[in-house]
Amino acid sequence: MRPTTVVVADSGPIFRSGVRHLLTREGEFAVTEAEDFMGLARLLESEQPDIALVDDELPPAGGVAAVAQLAPRAGTQLIVWSFAPSGQSVLAAIGAGAKGYLHKSISPMGLIRSLRGVVNGEAPLARDLATLMVAAVHELEQRDRVRERAVVLSAREREVLALVARGARNREIAEELSISEFTVKRHLQNILHKLDLPSRRAAALFYRSAFGVERVTTTGGTR
Amino acid sequence: MSVDAVKHAIPLVAVVSAVPLLVEAVEGALAGMAEVRSFPAGSGDTAGFLRFLKPDAVVVDSLEEAQQAISFARGAGATLVHVSLPDQRLRLLRAGGWIEYVNGSASPERLRSALAAGLLGKARSS
Repeated sequence: MRPTTVVVADSGPIFRSGVRHLLTREGEFAVTEAEDFMGLARLLESEQPDIALVDDELPPAGGVAAVAQLAPRAGTQLIVWSFAPSGQSVLAAIGAGAKGYLHKSISPMGLIRSLRGVVNGEAPLARDLATLMVAAVHELEQRDRVRERAVVLSAREREVLALVARGARNREIAEELSISEFTVKRHLQNILHKLDLPSRRAAALFYRSAFGVERVTTTGGTR
Repeated sequence: MSVDAVKHAIPLVAVVSAVPLLVEAVEGALAGMAEVRSFPAGSGDTAGFLRFLKPDAVVVDSLEEAQQAISFARGAGATLVHVSLPDQRLRLLRAGGWIEYVNGSASPERLRSALAAGLLGKARSS
């Protein structure tokens, strides 16, 4: 039977050697290694392996960027893995074209089972990673909904709200936008009314949840 | 052959790790030179466990486990290697201090030579 060909794309030589040792011992896998994107791209081109295990931090631009570039033209099943996966990283990898996502702290047998599953057309994704991914999708949907609500604001009101979200006081906003404090207050009242929000603090939270702005102190540092 | 002679003929390396694939790397690096046994990190009393097991060398993959293994390694004259896979760092406890290898020098060859030197040195002294 032809062995399943696997590329281990990872900048860590000790980790690569561990994966190689495991898979080679099993006998059903033939393993090659790449330490960066260029090495991976070359191997996909020349060897056309069945599976590539791609480190989420593969140099130079990361595993997701590598998958986004390679997935459209590769027949290889690209699996991203990481020591510290997050919902966003799993979502980004799958969105870029990865077939699955694994913990690098996976057990040897777990890795073998996952790779056998890929050969049989399965998409490896640990249960906790699936949960993280679903949460990330919900977070994105929530952000989109919040952004849609912000459409009712005028350009100037959005500028004011952005500064409120950064922790600026009315006087500072007035100076920044070259308007009077009275006008700032009027814009704020309109913002609260249009978004149906109870307070300046709620408006700031609204903006941060929609656009991810960090609060900034008046001296310039983030809080 | 006495039990002690058997013990020294096949050195024991304990790998205390949160990343099971590190054990594979250690086994591959030693290539049958020693018996490698793996134990999950975070069990709480690594120091006591090592004193009970009496391995000839210890490989850990976290600062916490390294701290716990130091007293055993110093007392027993065992080799202690701390491998941080995410950071690609390898530290070797020698003469009371850490010798650190980073990036390309934190390689399977370095892991092998660090462990082999320790195991051979221990075998000669016993």
